[in-house]
Amino acid sequence: MSTAAIEISDLRVTYGTGQEALRGVTLTVPKGEVFGFLGPNGAGKTTTIKALLGFISPTAGTVRLCGLDPRTPDARARLGYLPEVARYYDYLRVDELLTFYGEICGLRRQELRSRVDAVLGLVGLSSAKGKLIRDFSKGMQQRAGLAQALLHDPDVLVFDEPMSGLDPLGRRRVRDIMVRLREEGKTVFFSSHELSEAEMICDRVGILKCGEVCWCGPTTEIAGDGKGNLERIFLELIGDEESSTWEATAA
Amino acid sequence: MGGNGGMNGEMRRIWAIGRVSMLELFRRKDMYVAVILGVVIVVPLASVNLFGIEGIVRYLREISLLLIWLFSIVIGISTAARQIPAELERRTIYPLLAKPVARREVVLGKFVGAFLASGTCLLFFYLLFVLLSGMKQGAWMTVCMFQAVLLHFLFLALLTAMALCGSIVLTHSANLALSSLVAVCMLLFGQRLPDLADRATLAASILLRAIHWLAPHFEFFDLRLRVIHGWDPVPAQAVAAATAYAAVYTALFLVLAFNLFRRKQL
Repeated sequence: MSTAAIEISDLRVTYGTGQEALRGVTLTVPKGEVFGFLGPNGAGKTTTIKALLGFISPTAGTVRLCGLDPRTPDARARLGYLPEVARYYDYLRVDELLTFYGEICGLRRQELRSRVDAVLGLVGLSSAKGKLIRDFSKGMQQRAGLAQALLHDPDVLVFDEPMSGLDPLGRRRVRDIMVRLREEGKTVFFSSHELSEAEMICDRVGILKCGEVCWCGPTTEIAGDGKGNLERIFLELIGDEESSTWEATAA
Repeated sequence: MGGNGGMNGEMRRIWAIGRVSMLELFRRKDMYVAVILGVVIVVPLASVNLFGIEGIVRYLREISLLLIWLFSIVIGISTAARQIPAELERRTIYPLLAKPVARREVVLGKFVGAFLASGTCLLFFYLLFVLLSGMKQGAWMTVCMFQAVLLHFLFLALLTAMALCGSIVLTHSANLALSSLVAVCMLLFGQRLPDLADRATLAASILLRAIHWLAPHFEFFDLRLRVIHGWDPVPAQAVAAATAYAAVYTALFLVLAFNLFRRKQL
């Protein structure tokens, strides 16, 4: 029995155009860990997540979710996923949306009803229960997305930019949920641009640059290395080169 | 967590996807256009008494049935063709496929949703037709009429499966155009393809024979002439054969759709 929730080994993805999106990503996230997956735009974070969820087939390498192939329904029964751009069925009410996802996950009627109420309460959408998704603001849609990810009480949660589109109050709520998930022993793998949030919540972070993991380590190591915070490390690894590339392009 | 596997779980997931697709179609009010189309179908029949001419009744029934067929093609293709592209465009496919659902079940669920939604419209059209025919001309539901409705539903199942399959490989507009072309051409010329092939050049003959053997013969499901002229019903064996034909072709299109969707990089 594997003790790792997520195992990515030498993952390579080359698109049809010949563009190498991932060039040998290797990562292991143990069960019960909150892992922050950081990197600049276009570094390959979303591609890694897509491979992790079985949306795309890797050109080479392997991906395992709780020791299982992520393309199998058994693996996905243990997974909760919040996409980067959360959009759901406009003409469903949020409780109908969650009931639909619950049925897909195989939750029984009675259990489903109580789970829908519980997750709506958790994300602060209880009062919007009867509202159509199309009438939701961006932040409310993001929270509805969070609710569907948590609905079936999965062991592993993959969040792609969970703070995107949220106001400070919404960010705080997501952060609290992640902390609570860690306390419950869940594994959380999330990509983000928010370095301070990542530093605050994560046990470990990995920094992706041009399709490769260029740094991976515990957040405690960051505080103790005498170099300063995560932002400083991030900028040292990526910032200068990125900005010089950007300046060269702009010139 | 409740039971997720097994045949029962698979059927539940397919039904859930189909139900949500149908609910969205009706709530978006797209299907309300069916009511307007229904009125268009009813107008020729309702005007029978205004003319007061005996022979024109058949002509008006023919127009009404032609409109039912035309509208069912438009609704069937447009409903099925947008199911999966809309999921991809709105990105709702990602949270859905992250759940313990097989891509095969998504394709089947979308087929169920599109077929039930367009089938509801077709049922509404036929109810209006039978009601008006009965009230104006005393021509209530006959065996032949029942066969015509049944075969039309089989046609619709086959048509939605074909359009759904096309939507995975073609762009939306290309799929609409091609599916409509296949449906209309096969209804009009399907039976005449071998004759046309006999009279054509070698290359054209090969092409026409290939179409004859490969394309679904939608004309098998069209009993309009029998209904209009009040002819005898078709033998039960012929209806059974048409049912089997529709089942095989629908299954083939769905298997093809599943295989294409399974390989699709999202």
